[in-house]
Amino acid sequence: MLVPLYGFLRGDTIGMVVLVHDHQTIADVAKVLQQAASVRVKPAARARVYIGTHALDPALTVKAAGLGALDRVDVVQEH
Amino acid sequence: MLKRDQWLDLARKLDWEFSYVGERDVFPDVVSGTPWLPQAAWKDWDEPYKTTYAEYVSTQHAKDASVYAVRDAVGRIEDYRKLDASWLNALKLHSATLPLAEFAAVVGNLRATRFGRDSAWRTMANFGALDEFRHTQIPLMVMHELVKLDPQFDWTHKFFHTNDWVAIAGRHLVDEMLTASNPIEFAIATHFVFETGFTNLQFVGLSSLAQAAGDRMFEKMVKSIQTDEARHAQIGHPVLLTLIKHDREYAQRLVDKWFWRSWLFFAVVTGFAMDYLTPLEHRRQSFKEFVHEWILDQFQRSLDEMGLKRPWYWQQFLDALDSYHHMVYASAYTYRATVWFDFAMPGPEERAWLAQKYPKTWPQMDPIWERVAERWRESGPGVEWHTHGATPVTFCSTCQLVLCGGTPAHNTARLHAHEGRKYFFCSEPCEWIFKQEPERYAAHKDVVMRILTGEAPANLLELLRKSFGLTQDMWGKDVARGNYRWLEAQIERHKEKEVA
Repeated sequence: MLVPLYGFLRGDTIGMVVLVHDHQTIADVAKVLQQAASVRVKPAARARVYIGTHALDPALTVKAAGLGALDRVDVVQEH
Repeated sequence: MLKRDQWLDLARKLDWEFSYVGERDVFPDVVSGTPWLPQAAWKDWDEPYKTTYAEYVSTQHAKDASVYAVRDAVGRIEDYRKLDASWLNALKLHSATLPLAEFAAVVGNLRATRFGRDSAWRTMANFGALDEFRHTQIPLMVMHELVKLDPQFDWTHKFFHTNDWVAIAGRHLVDEMLTASNPIEFAIATHFVFETGFTNLQFVGLSSLAQAAGDRMFEKMVKSIQTDEARHAQIGHPVLLTLIKHDREYAQRLVDKWFWRSWLFFAVVTGFAMDYLTPLEHRRQSFKEFVHEWILDQFQRSLDEMGLKRPWYWQQFLDALDSYHHMVYASAYTYRATVWFDFAMPGPEERAWLAQKYPKTWPQMDPIWERVAERWRESGPGVEWHTHGATPVTFCSTCQLVLCGGTPAHNTARLHAHEGRKYFFCSEPCEWIFKQEPERYAAHKDVVMRILTGEAPANLLELLRKSFGLTQDMWGKDVARGNYRWLEAQIERHKEKEVA
């Protein structure tokens, strides 16, 4: 199932709507958001995904992480 | 024969007691506004201009003649060809958002002409409606000629009739403030906050920039409009004074709500023009400096005089002065095909100027422009799509503008659930406005909701064409198509490095 998420990449100027499948991983979410914002922020090899202040396990699937349509995630690049 | 001052009040103070119908039936709460007060509570309503209809017609005729004279002298296409391309895009932005919003203000003023609670108020509102007709007609007349120069000027009239995201935000604001508000809220929102508080930004700031940019027509147009605004804006003060006397808390709430909504609108329209679309050599002040000089002192003084407090989010507003329009501009630049005007990319000199004017926040903004420049270096000039986003962006459920609150380090977007639906807001004040009257806002669909419910296409190109009403010759591009001397020099330097 496709899940639209509101994603905010730290260092960017705007929130994006990213579409991910619920079987994709949290690491994929970070990649998709970074790619969507790549005209403004250079993608990094590693990035963490947060719900509020809680960092999600990159290996979890979107479904297992409990993410639903129109939830907010924040992505922070690790340099 | 009576002198003017002896008969004037007989003409403008014409309230009478009703004999066969109740006052509350003539002025029902739902249209006249709350708190409902008997006419006795409004009878001292007054304003300083006290214009008669004959004086109004005579003055307006002279002002129109003066605008026509300037148009005939310097309003021809060849005059505009001499202006800087960036400035012309400030003109397109301003022109599209102005005339039909002014037309909506005709409706608001006419409602007050019938349902304002004192006859002097109704008389003044009638002049206000005539003013706003004029403010609709003048920009339409002036910009119509420019469609021959550039088809994007067609959006002067087309803008409000589209579902472009800026038009959705613009309509959301003016429908609530001008078309749907009762005369009490209209007077405070439009006359006290928007016109008295903010339009100096447009009429003093932009006319001064227009003069520096050599645009005599725009300078004349906005100055002429300002003389009308200065008069009918006086409606707000006495309405607010009466409201404070009877319901101070509501008065404060209306001021707080409308200051924030007005601020977001001006930050986009005027912030873009002052800090990005005016050529560097013509800039006299930054947007932030201008707001401090021309808005804050006067607005805070007005609040003090009325015994009102600064809006509860005052510190957030001061912080936003440093960042909000920069966040929206950088975002919109990378989605420029979604609007009807072109964007200038700030080069090294502009970025140095912005760094000096915004020392607190520019260090976070500069990497964004460095990245955009890097993308232009990769593609070379003319390849718009390499510096353009394709993924849908997010919108605020109150202001309908993009979620660009805060800074790159901390976006202030907030999520709120209401009756099973999720709503996002760009800021705490926008969330607060929504929560005060959810029934007023909850049913509205932003662009994302339109896409998710199938009312608008998700594919960007289809969205632009089918929903936003844009075609390739109309949609926004980089004003120089990436042909900047500084960028060319950077590309050469990079090539030399690679060879070495």
